[in-house]
Amino acid sequence: MIDSEKQPEIKRVEITVNGKTVQARTDKPLIHACLQAESEVPHYCYHPGLTPVGSCRICQVEVQQGKMPARVMVACRTPVAAGMVVDTESKGAHDSRKECLEFLLKNHPLDCPICDKAGECTLQDYSFAEGQGEGRSVEPRRKLEKRKDLGDVIMLDQERCILCSRCVRFMEEVPETPQLCVAGRGSHSIIETWNNQPLSGNYQGNLADVCPVGALTLKSFRFKARVWNLTKTASSCGECSRGCSTTVEVLRAGEIVRIRPRHDEEVNKWWMCDTGRFALDHFAEVDRLVGACMPSATRGWDQSPVEDGLQVAADMLMAAEKPLIVASPWLTVEEGTELLTLGRQLNGRVAFVSPAQNELADDLLHTGDPAPNRRGLTDLGFEALSPEEILSAASEHSSILCIGERVASLLGEDGFNSLPSATRVLLFDCALPAPQEGGNSPIDLAIGLATSAERAGHWVNIDGIRRPILQARPAPTGVWNTVRLLQNLLGLLATREIQS
Amino acid sequence: MSHETYLFSRMAREDVHTLKGYEAQGGYQAFKKILSEGTSPTDVTGIVKDSGLRGRGGAGFPTGLKWSFMPDPTKDSRTRYMAVNADESEPGTCKDRILMERDPHGLLEGCMIAAWAMGLAGIYIYVRGEYRLSYARLDEAIQEARAAGLIGENIMGSDFSCEVQMHKGAGAYICGEETGLMESLEGKRGHPRPKPPFPAGFGLWGQPTTVNNVESIFNVPFILERGSDWFKTMGTEKSPGNFLCGVSGHVEKPGVYEIALGTPASTILNEYAGGVWRGRELRAWIPGGSSTGFLRPEVIDTPMDHDSVKAVGSMFGTGAMIILDQTASVVHSALVLMNFYEHESCGQCSQCREGTEWLAQVFQRIHDGQGRMEDIDLLTDIANGMAPGKTICALADAAAIPTHSVIRNFRDELVEYVQEGGHAAVSKKRSLPLEVV
Repeated sequence: MIDSEKQPEIKRVEITVNGKTVQARTDKPLIHACLQAESEVPHYCYHPGLTPVGSCRICQVEVQQGKMPARVMVACRTPVAAGMVVDTESKGAHDSRKECLEFLLKNHPLDCPICDKAGECTLQDYSFAEGQGEGRSVEPRRKLEKRKDLGDVIMLDQERCILCSRCVRFMEEVPETPQLCVAGRGSHSIIETWNNQPLSGNYQGNLADVCPVGALTLKSFRFKARVWNLTKTASSCGECSRGCSTTVEVLRAGEIVRIRPRHDEEVNKWWMCDTGRFALDHFAEVDRLVGACMPSATRGWDQSPVEDGLQVAADMLMAAEKPLIVASPWLTVEEGTELLTLGRQLNGRVAFVSPAQNELADDLLHTGDPAPNRRGLTDLGFEALSPEEILSAASEHSSILCIGERVASLLGEDGFNSLPSATRVLLFDCALPAPQEGGNSPIDLAIGLATSAERAGHWVNIDGIRRPILQARPAPTGVWNTVRLLQNLLGLLATREIQS
Repeated sequence: MSHETYLFSRMAREDVHTLKGYEAQGGYQAFKKILSEGTSPTDVTGIVKDSGLRGRGGAGFPTGLKWSFMPDPTKDSRTRYMAVNADESEPGTCKDRILMERDPHGLLEGCMIAAWAMGLAGIYIYVRGEYRLSYARLDEAIQEARAAGLIGENIMGSDFSCEVQMHKGAGAYICGEETGLMESLEGKRGHPRPKPPFPAGFGLWGQPTTVNNVESIFNVPFILERGSDWFKTMGTEKSPGNFLCGVSGHVEKPGVYEIALGTPASTILNEYAGGVWRGRELRAWIPGGSSTGFLRPEVIDTPMDHDSVKAVGSMFGTGAMIILDQTASVVHSALVLMNFYEHESCGQCSQCREGTEWLAQVFQRIHDGQGRMEDIDLLTDIANGMAPGKTICALADAAAIPTHSVIRNFRDELVEYVQEGGHAAVSKKRSLPLEVV
């Protein structure tokens, strides 16, 4: 997925866009240079990641070339030429766009108040910026299917569709699984799947992103939220070692309602897979491990504040000869660094859980390796051990510290149960392991951690590209992030060493 | 009325569609001469260029100039193609059909000369699906010519090879647009391609391609045989030669006539087509196929050539005249045309997809007596939003031009429709007493 943006063979010519001099790439249409010059050019059918077709005709700009008089033309199908003078704000360009919008809105249902796209719909934006206040058509609007089910992921509203064909081209060009088409002709054109079959594949969610209007919406997001109520934070996806750049969108109450790809030329371009997009369960509030927990003498868990739990943890770790420290591959580089310090302090063996390759790998983005920071931890010097290797190694150690998001589920409940009862097990994770009858739990101490949506740091992806994760929402009260937890623990250990 | 004819010259003989009949009238002589004398391709193109032959498919682009746009074979070794546009579907136009049905070898000879001139590896003839006889006759002609060594590998024992294949259209008007035609030939939907790139650089399967109309190609052997100076003796200075004029509508003798370019439309109407039907008065006429718009009777003396028709605000187009008599309604005719364009728009471009539908809807309302005075300005604005040159291909222009022409030339009739309550009222007023035929 590494793009050629920085590679030398790209030819550039100098053009002028709204008075600004731009070095325009000759392999890209004029609109690319205009957008590069930060001149807003309305566009629907044009998407930087897809072949331009020049069919929506909205991206009209005024171009003056050589001695020829200035002409209004579509920027997405005009090749750049040295010396072009482009005016995106000329009257002719605005008039042409206004005309075009009147046509696009002629049959549009104008159901923005109930449309999920409202607020991030470019038909809305450009109509507001360029269009006229009132439509002049008195003809009845086209009646088409408003709820056409396209499978598990996508719902199609044919009335809202402006037939830009981005979805058709996306399916053909990106995952290379052509499934959508424009059926019918002229004003009878509609978007359809072959024989009304449901869509398939792991990249369907992108259709809702490429759709410039509210025609293709995510079923999981329909009627969930108004987009202007969402707080958006840049982050990275943790579902495989690609680490696609994402935007995490949080509703006012703190619920993560949507994860969308964020343009990243080197990692994922504009796309992400559905596995990553819909991995919202990991951020759900149920089963969160809050504060510190120790198995109760009667049943369930005894809860205490994190500070108390850390005292216990320090006791246990100090008592151990050579603890086994097991990191989750979701640990960030920063957390890994702290953990290595802890390992040195305790003279322990430090490793991370290296999960097995899954069957989700494809040629596009998904690597099939569920460990998002494998590269980062390996580079830091962590040993990679499979869950089985960790469990067999654990029997050689008097205590084991498992730390990081999803580390418990990677090792498995049976894995913990198989450990010798003499082994002290410390688990720092986001989710609470299944409750056990009093005294029976193999876990001696559990402390809650912030998820990757609640803390900041960096992961290094499969290609060695370092990308940030940022805090999209605050962690629940009584939950610390890993770095704070480790630094406090290190502090405690240091104090005790001095005291002894 | 008498002038030199050549396009129809061979058709008196019944069997001219066979190789025997064609050769008996001097057929394939021009092609054989070029091949035996080894006339250089540049010279052949030069002769066609010098003749001033303008394309007969509608736009009137000089054929020889179009050929010269093909890249130089010494610098660009890609395979080259020609597509012959025989998807004649402009309403009112029926000239290419006559040529293919009666004289298919004439077209093939033109094709082979073009193949030599442009170094073509293959020629595709895209025949309108409904033209069954044209297809059958051309098919037979190709087989005969191939058997006679005039088509295929090592033509007439030379190094020169060129294949000719036919393709049957499936009834879409848009596939007559040159890039839509190429898409269709490639097996895709007939969605016209944005230009640039132009076909001469990036055509069929990305190879250099020229698209020519049947009648344009049919002219070529005559020019090669008799010279470009002979060709220029006919027609006008800027539009030399004869053209096939399909006259239809309210005329006594509808048909396809071979006429020198520059002949006044009134002469064609009165002397060839026998005048307006039953001696009635002329209400309106369309000079060159439905997309060229409606003209008033006052300009019926306009010479039929590219520049003269342009001067009266229309286009020569395919030279297919449609005549409307005094009882006919321009608004109703415009509605029929708008329904046609609405049906035939491919739907890629926003303006054309929505605009053709909108125009049809507004004309329908005016026709039905629900028109408003402001609809006339609305029609102008819709048409201005669609054309000129605002869409990928010219279909939007083809719908906008007749709309503009109705408003410019027949505004009175639109007003009459709005004020008097639509077609029922207006046509009643115009109807003539029943005649016994």
